[in-house]
Amino acid sequence: MINYSDAVLVIILLSVLIALESNRMVALVKIMGLQGIMVSLVPLFLPQHQELGSGGIIFFQIMILIKGLLIPGLLYFAVQKVAIKREVEPIIGYHASLFVGLMMIMVSLFITEKLQVTLPGGHSLLLITAITTLGAGLFLMMSRTKAITQVIGYLMLENGIYLVGTALSKQSHTRYVVEFGVLLDVLVGVMIMGIILHNINRAFDDVDTALLGRLKD
Amino acid sequence: MLEFVFLLPIVTGLTAMFVPVALGRGILLIAALLHLQLTAMAWMNKLNPYFPDYFSTSPEGLLILLVTSFIFLFISVYAISYMRETEMQSEHIFISCMLLFLGTMSMVTLSDHPIVLWIAIEATTLVSAPLIFINRSKEALEATWKYVLICSVGIALALLGCFFITLAMDIKDIDASLTFSSLNAVADQLDPNWLKAGFIFIMIGFGTKMGLAPMHTWLPDAHSQAPSPASALLSGALLNCAFLGIYKVHVLMHVAGLGDYSSNILIGFGLVSMFVAGIFILNQPDYKRMLAYSSVENMGVIAIGVGIGGIALYGAILHLIHHSLIKSSLFLSAGNILLGFGTRLVKRTGNLARLFPKTFVAFFAGFAGISGFPPFGIFISELLIIMGAFQRGRYAVLAIFLFCLTLVCAGAARIVMRISFAANTGEDVLVEERMIRILPSYALLLTSIGLCLWMPESIYQIILSTIKVLGGVVHG
Repeated sequence: MINYSDAVLVIILLSVLIALESNRMVALVKIMGLQGIMVSLVPLFLPQHQELGSGGIIFFQIMILIKGLLIPGLLYFAVQKVAIKREVEPIIGYHASLFVGLMMIMVSLFITEKLQVTLPGGHSLLLITAITTLGAGLFLMMSRTKAITQVIGYLMLENGIYLVGTALSKQSHTRYVVEFGVLLDVLVGVMIMGIILHNINRAFDDVDTALLGRLKD
Repeated sequence: MLEFVFLLPIVTGLTAMFVPVALGRGILLIAALLHLQLTAMAWMNKLNPYFPDYFSTSPEGLLILLVTSFIFLFISVYAISYMRETEMQSEHIFISCMLLFLGTMSMVTLSDHPIVLWIAIEATTLVSAPLIFINRSKEALEATWKYVLICSVGIALALLGCFFITLAMDIKDIDASLTFSSLNAVADQLDPNWLKAGFIFIMIGFGTKMGLAPMHTWLPDAHSQAPSPASALLSGALLNCAFLGIYKVHVLMHVAGLGDYSSNILIGFGLVSMFVAGIFILNQPDYKRMLAYSSVENMGVIAIGVGIGGIALYGAILHLIHHSLIKSSLFLSAGNILLGFGTRLVKRTGNLARLFPKTFVAFFAGFAGISGFPPFGIFISELLIIMGAFQRGRYAVLAIFLFCLTLVCAGAARIVMRISFAANTGEDVLVEERMIRILPSYALLLTSIGLCLWMPESIYQIILSTIKVLGGVVHG
């Protein structure tokens, strides 16, 4: 029998690695869409979410819409509208990035092993995936020059933190209303970043962060 | 219903987006007045929360709510005249975002649930971003980009910290609701290691927003590029709200018996902030950036005061109030200077005392206040922090504290003297000073003096109950 939650988590890990290695903006956005859908599916396979109330059903449907469709859609629109060159333009090369991603899985494994003593059992792969996603998000923000890749890195970081949250906390505290508020913040955040990006593109004719170096001491 | 305190500005803010600008200005002013009234009702315990799981009044929250609401009223009076003078594009967005900003900040002060607090703080970042890039210059866009990205990432780490605190409760199988009040009640049973990890992430996360060094890099850019009323709000109100997040978790740590650990971290970040601000203020060519670095320094002072505890904690709370009053007044005066000379560079200004005598009085008095001269409140608060450091025997902290204060004062004095008295390079005055843009600065400064001479009993009691939990005292 296939363990569904492990399968979903492995897809998330793969999506992280593909995102680190992809060289086209559009491909990166599509991968983020896939990752968003998978991240929203994870809680459904966990034991603490076995019984869903009506609030839970609505929340998970909205979450998959926002993470899987709305945010990637916004990003896709931004890439079409803003990026003149469609290359990702990394500071650290693709193969090196991929290597960093693999190292991150190792480090996450190590951290999870260390923490295992104090964790509620059975979540080790979930925690490994969460920490890898979190770290890869931070790495993506730092190692790419385009402003839009930084937004994608931020989203990946947020996905990682969400996974940490689902891995660690019991359902009884994090009510759906609260989680929905977090989700709404992320969505509005991406919209605001999109608006700023659009204005940056108009003012500078590009979205390279190297151009953003006017304010210094 | 307690939630009206933040629902009112949010609803009026959304309305202001879609009505004519002239009406929007009226809405801004009326909403500010009504908000002050709601705050007064909350102080008199007349409002009960409709969602007690998420919102409740706490003494520290009420204090910051009052400060925010009070300075917002004066800033909105100033903003109306400022917007007319600069002929701002998309003024309705500016008005709307000011009100939304007030709403989200009020929500921060009233939230009792850690994640709701997080949601509110992240929301303040999002609604204040349009305030910074409202004039869409290249510099403003860069500042906004840094602000949104650095703060969002920082605050995302704070969310991780919130999850760790939840975990500290789950590991020990404690069945309490996730609010600060019930967490404090069961604090001694929580898992100390996860609490410590949670505090570090929250310190880094909300510390980014509060402007503590080394995570302060967004602050000088955003404060200098935003229009002056927005800078005054960012510095006078927003930083306090981020501090509130750290303070609540610090209280939790203290009740859990880990007070020494969190105090030392607070003092460490505070000293680094003061030192960095002192270095960057020394040769600062831009007077709005100078004020921004002064905010970094003052946030450091507050963190140190809270970390030392005892009578220094009382000093830190007083410092928070007076810093908000004086710094927002200074940013409003800086706005007048910017309108008058049309430049942020110190070297292209000069002779303020003769050209703009009324602005000069406000600016110079504000400088005296922020540097800790009597009769302003910062004199008392810094003295109390120094006394507290003596009592606790933290002489090394005290030495660095005094050195950095001197550094900041010297750096700021050079700039203020240059602006006020140096011969002007002969450029024309662009915009004359007007009474309506000066009275708010005066009012804020006079409030600071007034609070030193006579502090209303209710404010005094609220401060006492704020610091009681941490073992703060008023009489050393």
